[in-house]
Amino acid sequence: MKKWNLIIDVGLCHDCNDCFLADKDEFVGNDFPPYSAAQPWSGHRWMNIERKERGQYPLVQVAYLPMPCMHCDHAPCLTPDGAVYKREDGLVIIDPVKAKGREDIVESCPYGAIYWNEEASLPQKCTGCVHLLEEGWSETRCSQVCPTGAIRLVLADDTEMARIIAAEGLEPFRADLGTKPRVLYKNLYRWDKVFVAASVAYEDTDECAENAQVRVAEGGTTVGEGATNNYGEFTVDRLEPDGRYEVSVTAAGYKPYTVEVTLEKSLNLGLILLQKA
Amino acid sequence: MAEDRAPNGRSGETTLVRDISFCGVPENGSNASMVDVKDGRIIRIRPMHYDWKYDPERDMNPWKMEVRGSIFEPSMKTLIPPYSIAYKKRVYSPARIRYPMKRVDWDPQGAPGSTGPGGRNTQNRGKSKYVRISWDEALDTIVFEMNRIKETYGPTALLYQCDQHGENKVVQACHGAGRRLLPLWGGYTLQIRQPDSWEGWWWGSKHFWGCEPVGQGRQSNLLYDVAKNCELLLFWGCDQETTPWGWQGQLPSRLSYWYTELGIKQIYVCPDLNYAAAVHADRWIPVLPNTDAALYLAITYWWFKHGTYDKEYLQTHAVGVEAFEAYVMGEEDGIPKTPEWAAPICGVSARVIKALAEEWASKRTSVVIGNGGPGIRGPYATEPARLQNICLAMQGLGKPGVNQVKMIEWGLFDFPDQYAQPKPLRVPNLRTAYTGGHPSDTNHPSLPKTYVPKAILEGECDWWGCESETAPREDQFVHRFYPAEGCSRIHAVWTDSPSWITCWNSGNDYVRAMQHPDIEFMWAQHPWLENDALLADIILPVNTKLEEDDIAGDIFSGQYNLLFPERKCIEPLGESYSDYEIVCMLADRLGLLEEYTGGRSIPDLIKLGYETSRCADLISWEELNEKGYFVVPTAEGWEDEPAGFQRFYEDPGSDPLTTPTGLLEFEATGLKEHFPDDPERPPVPKWVAQGVSHEETVGTERSKKYPLLVISNHPRWSVHSQHEDITWLREIGTCKITGPDGYQYHPVWLHPSTAQKRGIEQGDVVSVYNERGTVLGAAYVTERIMPEVIYMDHGAKWDPIEPGVIDRGGAINTIVPRHTTSKNAVGHAVSGFLAEVEKTDLDELKRKYPDAFEKPFHPCAGPGLEACIMGGE
Repeated sequence: MKKWNLIIDVGLCHDCNDCFLADKDEFVGNDFPPYSAAQPWSGHRWMNIERKERGQYPLVQVAYLPMPCMHCDHAPCLTPDGAVYKREDGLVIIDPVKAKGREDIVESCPYGAIYWNEEASLPQKCTGCVHLLEEGWSETRCSQVCPTGAIRLVLADDTEMARIIAAEGLEPFRADLGTKPRVLYKNLYRWDKVFVAASVAYEDTDECAENAQVRVAEGGTTVGEGATNNYGEFTVDRLEPDGRYEVSVTAAGYKPYTVEVTLEKSLNLGLILLQKA
Repeated sequence: MAEDRAPNGRSGETTLVRDISFCGVPENGSNASMVDVKDGRIIRIRPMHYDWKYDPERDMNPWKMEVRGSIFEPSMKTLIPPYSIAYKKRVYSPARIRYPMKRVDWDPQGAPGSTGPGGRNTQNRGKSKYVRISWDEALDTIVFEMNRIKETYGPTALLYQCDQHGENKVVQACHGAGRRLLPLWGGYTLQIRQPDSWEGWWWGSKHFWGCEPVGQGRQSNLLYDVAKNCELLLFWGCDQETTPWGWQGQLPSRLSYWYTELGIKQIYVCPDLNYAAAVHADRWIPVLPNTDAALYLAITYWWFKHGTYDKEYLQTHAVGVEAFEAYVMGEEDGIPKTPEWAAPICGVSARVIKALAEEWASKRTSVVIGNGGPGIRGPYATEPARLQNICLAMQGLGKPGVNQVKMIEWGLFDFPDQYAQPKPLRVPNLRTAYTGGHPSDTNHPSLPKTYVPKAILEGECDWWGCESETAPREDQFVHRFYPAEGCSRIHAVWTDSPSWITCWNSGNDYVRAMQHPDIEFMWAQHPWLENDALLADIILPVNTKLEEDDIAGDIFSGQYNLLFPERKCIEPLGESYSDYEIVCMLADRLGLLEEYTGGRSIPDLIKLGYETSRCADLISWEELNEKGYFVVPTAEGWEDEPAGFQRFYEDPGSDPLTTPTGLLEFEATGLKEHFPDDPERPPVPKWVAQGVSHEETVGTERSKKYPLLVISNHPRWSVHSQHEDITWLREIGTCKITGPDGYQYHPVWLHPSTAQKRGIEQGDVVSVYNERGTVLGAAYVTERIMPEVIYMDHGAKWDPIEPGVIDRGGAINTIVPRHTTSKNAVGHAVSGFLAEVEKTDLDELKRKYPDAFEKPFHPCAGPGLEACIMGGE
């Protein structure tokens, strides 16, 4: 059967928050029984967008990670009494009647996607817009408002979805949690990998060093390569965080430059001045 | 058809199509949205689907750009911005004014200048509380005061301020409904909004390449031209992920991603890694605020030195090149404008300047602009504007892929050459049915908006030009005076949709002007108690557009043009009326109603809008009402429309510019004739570090005391001063930062080194100050800003601790320069100025201003009504 999947492209999100706001617009003040009670008027982030600066001035980018409920297939929040249940279409729903008073459910989510509604005494989260889909919608509010196509709702059976995952290189966020999310990401490296970057110039001429060769190695093995552009800059991306790397820069006629770094986060090495050989 | 395109039939909701955009000019509608309503309540606001009632292939002549093996098509839905989606919260805002109010210590029986009980107490404007009054009392008082002022001073003593941003409405226009009434009443003084979005282009570029009315380059078909021909895009002070939102939505975002996909390199030149640069930039070249002129000069120096520019083109298309070259190469002043000269001024290293100059000269390059930003609204903005134009000219302006491309206002003011997107068959125009004021309106007498404080505080002033926002270049040589001959000084102010303090030059001066005893009466009409409304003696409640019937066009989206009648979604809140209805009530009391309305009702006007929309031959009134909207098809042959300056490039003689010579004027003929010795806007554009108007650069004496350069773009999370009370927006981390006192402060971006030097940490409440005042904010410590530069966007809600002195809301415009662009150009200079920042001692401030800090504020919506009403709500 066709199941609910959400594909989020980190490379197409610029943090406009249309999804965050459409969620508020849909659920604040509106009850949709039997799936959801109204979201409190402030404070919940059923579609939460995290933001991260990568690198340091002036070699810096920003990445954004929209995070709704992951509607995990192995959802830790599920309860035997049906207060939190999984539908056949893959959606995980918190029953707004049965879950009353169950603050413990908030803590069960390793992604922090469940919020406590103090006034209603209810744990609450993204419903996947199940009430709209049942009315015949082919989109969730968040996928419908996304101007860049960064959020896509895909209703597909498991085989078709497996094909899409392979074809588009999709992956869950924090796969290590082992919950098998139905929300999958594209270009996730922008969030969970790191880069090393620098500006390179020739010390003798004070010119930008164009086309200098850059190698990043870990324990003697090359894990990334690049070359400087016409401004003498390079960025080698998709490196594993917390690794110990040797970064070397070489240009004909100049002494090679090598530095060892630990990349806890993306790093701009600053200005590298190459000395005449 | 899926239900998400159509009304939610099963849920019992009604779906209405509404224009939810915020420019406030009738030609500039956009952001068509579907509003679902049930039981008199707004359920949701969502994108509008073009194909709800129309078949794209049959009815819309869909456009697509097929370039370099990739296809770009418009979306079948509108790409509405955050403010439209969250607008429900603005409608039901805690700051909504629901009944007429009077300032509690303003007594209309008091003599002019009187203070104390029974006085007018103009000195308390911005401090006083308000009491509820009836509509009768409010209107009677206004009419009494209007007539008293007219009898005492003459009608020109009334200043009408009716030009500010607001909701897009047509028949129920959000500002300027009085412009047709006041001439019937006897006259008035009109505040002319100077061309605030385009200052540098308007006061500068018009003298270089003409391009009436706003001085920006010709835009026709440029989105396609870029895709086909560009190799490099230089986004210069442009943030297309922010500035266009309230005007047109988010097609610029999709386009920017597509241009990258096509392999077109994007470089962002700006002091901040703005929201577009943060995701689209192949390279960010940080430049110190308002020093772009020096950077451009060094680039032209490199080109002159190496001959890497189009000499032949300049021989046939330009005049005055020799004079410019002499200045650049140092023959005029002994200072060659080398990259090494420019580097310390602009903060870009000489080697990067050279690399940029070489790359620009070797690739098909267009410059991309988006209004606002740090580049064009600073002191002496005429110079970087003209120098940017010169750079484009030196590389063959108008050649395929060589233009000035706008990421905003596609179709501005209904001018055909402003259509950057695939051209529609028709552009719906609703001007005839429009009841408000228009940027092209003129009046005698008038006063430039930038000079309102000066006129009132000093009693007289003079200036050049500014007859209207769309006045031609020649008007800049007309000398005007306040008070005009035979006219009165100002003694009363009528303002609607007001946002002077948060959006113009030196807002604190404006506050002081409104507190001046000469201003005997001030009244405002607005849906929300915010900003300048807090100065008024009487405030009239206006409803939001979702409470009104109207008609709208969506013409800025870049996708498809729309025409649609608008039915009200909910009943007006409280005792509110539309601006037009309010002016009708005033007209009635003045005995001018029939003359004012011409006998037309609101439904008549809506139908008139349709009849004169240019679309009446394409769809009947009945069908329009039945379907609810009309999609204008794309014009046949849009691909062949000439791109930008193409015709001028091909033959300058057959398609001359509107400059005196018809050519690109490196030395401006008009300036040379009228202002030959103006060092602040010389005939040949220059780097102007300081002058009689400004001392706002690093290295000046002032910079010893105020060493930081402030930039201030248009805000990301509001449209100018609109939407500041939408609580959901305030939950976004880059919108507001909650201080230790629970107040949501406006973010001040600081580089970690700038913060560390001052002992400031992320989230600290900080004071941004100079001799013009102090603004509180909260530190947002980020790698996205240059060291020694701070960023604070404009438009934050004014929440005075002491009016005219210190503000808590973050209204940075209260401390921007009071002087205009330059001596003879009365634009405002609102970005690129000096200040210092320090960690705020909140306890000390609370001791000094206990009343201000005891005022209640809404923890999530900011300053609201309860702080201003006697005894609370």
